[in-house]
Amino acid sequence: MEYFLNQLVNGLCQGAIYALMAIGYSVIVGVVGMVTFTYGEIMMIGAFSAYYIFQAFGNNLPLAILAAFTGSFVIGIIVYKLCYEKFFNAPRHISLLCTIGISMLIKNLAQIVFGPETKPVLDIIENRTFTIMLGSVRLDIKLLQIVVILLVIVLAGTLTLFFNKTKWGIALRAVSQNKDAAYLMGINVKRTALIGNCIGSGLGGVAGILLSIYYYSVSATMGGAYSMKAFAASVLGGLVDIRFSALGGLCIGIIENLGIAVSAATFRDVFAFGFLILVLLIRPQGFVSKKGVRV
Amino acid sequence: MVDGKKTVLEIEDLSVHYGYISALDHVSLHVEQGEIITLIGSNGAGKTTTLMAVSGLAAKTNGTIRFKGQDITKTAPDKIVKMGLCHVPEGRKIFPALSVYENLIAGSLGNPALKKERIQELIEEQFNLFPRLKERIGQAGGSLSGGEQQMLAISRGLMMDPDIVMLDEPSLGLAPIIVEDIFELIMKIRDMGKTILLIEQNASMALSIADRGYVLENGRIIMEGKGKELLVNPKVKAAYLGA
Ligand SMILES: Nc1ncnc2c1ncn2[C@@H]1O[C@H](COP(=O)(O)OP(=O)(O)OP(=O)(O)O)[C@@H](O)[C@H]1O
Ligand SMILES: [Mg+2]
Repeated sequence: MEYFLNQLVNGLCQGAIYALMAIGYSVIVGVVGMVTFTYGEIMMIGAFSAYYIFQAFGNNLPLAILAAFTGSFVIGIIVYKLCYEKFFNAPRHISLLCTIGISMLIKNLAQIVFGPETKPVLDIIENRTFTIMLGSVRLDIKLLQIVVILLVIVLAGTLTLFFNKTKWGIALRAVSQNKDAAYLMGINVKRTALIGNCIGSGLGGVAGILLSIYYYSVSATMGGAYSMKAFAASVLGGLVDIRFSALGGLCIGIIENLGIAVSAATFRDVFAFGFLILVLLIRPQGFVSKKGVRV
Repeated sequence: MVDGKKTVLEIEDLSVHYGYISALDHVSLHVEQGEIITLIGSNGAGKTTTLMAVSGLAAKTNGTIRFKGQDITKTAPDKIVKMGLCHVPEGRKIFPALSVYENLIAGSLGNPALKKERIQELIEEQFNLFPRLKERIGQAGGSLSGGEQQMLAISRGLMMDPDIVMLDEPSLGLAPIIVEDIFELIMKIRDMGKTILLIEQNASMALSIADRGYVLENGRIIMEGKGKELLVNPKVKAAYLGA
């Protein structure tokens, strides 16, 4: 029981990071209108941007997060220019293949530039554990976990305000829902899609550094599995619905951690993707309810 | 120039091809300030294509388009809209996951000169035109009925406070009673000082409120004249009025 509750806390924390990662992913898929396979590498670049900030300036978390967002934002521009801009009217598989190619390119360049070895990311957040007693059950929560969860909540909240209360946000959502109609609203669709793609990438970068802090390491090849999980979380959320994608990420995090509680840590991905397949078998549209929305 | 009025929109020798298929073949028409102009024609005649070419969403192979005297043939769609041209597209194309209110705000993006107070004023104007939208203000656009979506699409366009409103089959799929409302509304919009280019399947209704009309057939203008004249023209009657 105690073990399960503690795994639940771990799952919540990891799920929060996955949620952030899924939010970024679904923002990208929404504005661009195509799925992407460079997301893992974008996260990795974010993590490395922050890693070098830690190397140069010590444990300055705000600065590192800013660097992660900026680094991935910039990669977002490049990916947009190479993979999407010219191909909006081309068959979808072209830009899809393009993102796969760019992903390999970035991964290999990263191995050359950053080195192939896994680098430690240690002691960014003080190693303190708070113990809560629920009756006779002992619940351990690390400071790291609290910081991560709060950070994700703040970021998601800010993003929600941005998307719902600002003209930029409404323009971004309009572009994800109907590009032609967005043009007819006088929205510069290409520029808006570029910015949306970069914001989504930036969020991915932040998720990247949070995962590195959580797992105490960063490496050039870390992206692959996360890319698939971000995709899975978004699929659970109906691909472009930000709230449901976040929920999808959270669920995957929890399922993974409960799953490895009954088996072994190596089965982590089995539970994540098993869960995805199970949900899709029962509800092919994911968590999204189409009730009340005619399309 | 007609009656010393200003020409708002001028299409000259416009041709559009989709691949090898010719959709528009040297189409010319003009719209004067304050007019209601209607473009009628059967399915596939090229009516929608004409509007798409004007607002920059369809590639042109020939011709020039001038809006308020400026050549907009090669201008980007968002820039054309910002000059004061509003296009309410065929099939409404409202943003399904934006609320009614947010759809209206999206419309106001088309006119960067609008101040906050003016936007609020315009929203009130829309609610006067369509009280029903006010009741649905927080509801997702995609959850509205077809007629309500059409109202929202028109309102969203009017939120730009445009000079010209191009309406692509606003009455499509609506109940006869609502169709009459829509036509009354179009006259109201004209009385608000806007110029109107109207595409309609319902040719008799359209011609009866139009100052002038054009008949499009297989991508060519085959007839043009005063609304009332076309309405009694035997050829038009036979082909488009079902009489
Ligand atoms: N995207 C497209 N690709 C290829 N052909 C197209 C495309 N859009 C329109 N066409 C063709 O161009 C011609 C004109 O189409 P358009 O939509 O302008 O007709 P319309 O007059 O608006 O018809 P309707 O009354 O049915 O809306 C048609 O023959 C149509 O098949
Ligand atoms: Mg049409």
